Amino acid sequence: MAQVRGSCERFCPDGEAKMRIREKLLHYFELKNGQKNTPGVLVKEFTRSAADAKMPLPQEMRTEAALTKTVEYLLKEQELFSIILDTRKPFNLAYDFIFDRLRAVRREIVIQMYDARQKIRLLEPIVMFLAYSRYRLCEESIEKFDPKICNQHLQECLTGVLCCYDELEGQASSKEPTIRELERRCYIESLYQVFNLGSPESFARALTLPDFVRQDSIFKLCFAICLAFQQRNLYRVLMGFPQLPHILCSVAATKLQAIRRSLLQVFTHAYNNKQLTVPVPYLLRLLLIDSPAGLQDQCRHYNISFTGDRKAVQFNKTDFNQTAELLKTQHERFVESKLKRIYLPEVLLLKKLN
Amino acid sequence: MFGTVNNYLSGVLHSAQDCDGESLGTHLSLRDVHVQNHNLYIAQPEKLVDRFLKPPLDEVVSAHMKVLYHLAQEPPGYMEAYTQQAAACGAVVRLLQQLKDENWCLPLMYRVCLDLRYLAQACEKHCRGFTPGHVLEKAADCMMACFRVCAADGRASEEDTKRLGMMNLVNQLFKIYFRINKLHLCKPLIRAIDNCVFKDSFPLPEQITYKYFVGRRAMFDSNYQAAVQDLSYAFSNCPDRFASNKRLILIYLVPVKMLLGYLPSKSLLQRYDLLLFHDLALALKAGNVNRFDEIVRDQELVLIRSGIYLLVEKLKFIVYRNLFKKVFAIRQTHQLDMGDFLSALQFVGLTDVSLDETHCIVANLIYEGKIKGYISHAHNKLVVSKQNPFPSMSS
Repeated sequence: MAQVRGSCERFCPDGEAKMRIREKLLHYFELKNGQKNTPGVLVKEFTRSAADAKMPLPQEMRTEAALTKTVEYLLKEQELFSIILDTRKPFNLAYDFIFDRLRAVRREIVIQMYDARQKIRLLEPIVMFLAYSRYRLCEESIEKFDPKICNQHLQECLTGVLCCYDELEGQASSKEPTIRELERRCYIESLYQVFNLGSPESFARALTLPDFVRQDSIFKLCFAICLAFQQRNLYRVLMGFPQLPHILCSVAATKLQAIRRSLLQVFTHAYNNKQLTVPVPYLLRLLLIDSPAGLQDQCRHYNISFTGDRKAVQFNKTDFNQTAELLKTQHERFVESKLKRIYLPEVLLLKKLN
Repeated sequence: MFGTVNNYLSGVLHSAQDCDGESLGTHLSLRDVHVQNHNLYIAQPEKLVDRFLKPPLDEVVSAHMKVLYHLAQEPPGYMEAYTQQAAACGAVVRLLQQLKDENWCLPLMYRVCLDLRYLAQACEKHCRGFTPGHVLEKAADCMMACFRVCAADGRASEEDTKRLGMMNLVNQLFKIYFRINKLHLCKPLIRAIDNCVFKDSFPLPEQITYKYFVGRRAMFDSNYQAAVQDLSYAFSNCPDRFASNKRLILIYLVPVKMLLGYLPSKSLLQRYDLLLFHDLALALKAGNVNRFDEIVRDQELVLIRSGIYLLVEKLKFIVYRNLFKKVFAIRQTHQLDMGDFLSALQFVGLTDVSLDETHCIVANLIYEGKIKGYISHAHNKLVVSKQNPFPSMSS
């Protein structure tokens, strides 16, 4: 099949822009200063490939430079304006908008059959955005944010990027990657490991990666966490989490509730005695919970009882509620404090990795 | 010693007329002597071949001769040869479909698929410009086309059904999927074999290979009982003269059994040059965490290459259990101080371990039933059961 190349140099092809302005199909973030009916900057929408749809014309698709700029526009701060940092509307609206527009970018990557190097540049920030959003919106209700769909897209983008890394490695002739490119790869490979914590496939990948990745300090930490998880040493897993940098730490936080549950279940067997109790501070420390109230939520949920003075917990293996669903992922203080200190656009565009 | 093209082609024709699949397979094998016959290296053999053979067999043979031609170039055209072999495989699919209620040509299919895999591996090794594993994956697609024809042949009688070819293909596909780390693709193949009415009448060598891979997969899924069953079957049925195959099986069987509490005998390991496991077993028995880690570190590459790194790392909890059992043996009491366990861990060289972690390790051993007892956090003691506090690992 002949390669198609886009020729549009803007975020949104003219045809679509005219049509959407005419039909008043503008998103909030495409209106000038949020004013009704005043078009601002439009970005090409995602449309599905359908059987009856014609192959897009070159002018309906963007050039590589335009796609790069689109990704940057969506995740960066412009003069006085930034979608990702916008505080006028709740973040889930910004997420919906950016998610859709980035999906359109991904579709063009596929149609235009970009090579590995081009794909990596465009996909890496998308991975970061999805990973960040997965955590940021984890407390939202299902109507506002669907974690499952977000996970699926994140996994798809991740495996896409990993394939490109492998492909580049297979080409001896291609020019040497820069140090920045190598660092970004280490970060994304780490993200893949943490996101797939406990999966034997991803673990097998970790073992066969090139040395520069395996020697990378962040990757080493992630690998140690995954290994500890496989060995069922959940203590090491939990103690490793807060040492992870920003986005990796937020991805890890999405795994936390399942690990807390496992550890509590282990404890109900190990400390199973009617006369004995386990002090709250010990459990808070081990389960990475920052307040007694948080521990009470967990215990109530899995049917573990507190002592009268609420200073200790009484474990009983028969009472543990095996069938209780996992608690919803929540914002964790150790992650929040990290995210507070970062400048988000810089992190999402992989300009600052730790 | 080599004949003309005509000799070769009439040989193919006779094999086909005699419905002699073995002989036909040999004529199309890349490991047969005829591949050294320079007379057969023809870039466009179609016209010649057409004079002897009918479609789709003519396509198989033409493609085969083109493969020979490309491989004879300097440097060998692996990619072109692979493409032609894939075309041959496609033609074999059509041949299979044409020969209703007959299965004599299965050996031909085996041969073409086997060579396809070898060529794909050669491409992966020598050629660049694609994602690693891509050519092997494409080869697997070609084999799947054969597999579908075989699996769908349900109406022929038991002697004539092409379903008898399924296990050979499944084993070929396993080899690819294991190589490219796509084990999830094995599942439908295993199901197809499991549902096959005559799954026990496949030839023994194929069954051994099959069980070897199914066992490895079960191991990968942490389904250790099943893994031991399949791998033991493979090991005990594999004849002694195939020592290297027996060794391959043991590489997986030994660590899985260790995980279930059986230590291998030194003489067995010696016979198959696997003393690495003996060292591991000694460290395991002694509860020497540090020594265990050291062996894993030293042998890292070997363990990774054979795909048992994770499995061996999972043995770590047994090392802890044995170490703690020693503490119990020394103290001779049923109320054991948690501090003693911590000291024991530090004694065997774990420098970064805390009392919290010691609690968690002991807790997990209790949870998994490897220690019978409970921890009193207030007294910082492990109270072990009066009866059998460290149940035998293999029970």
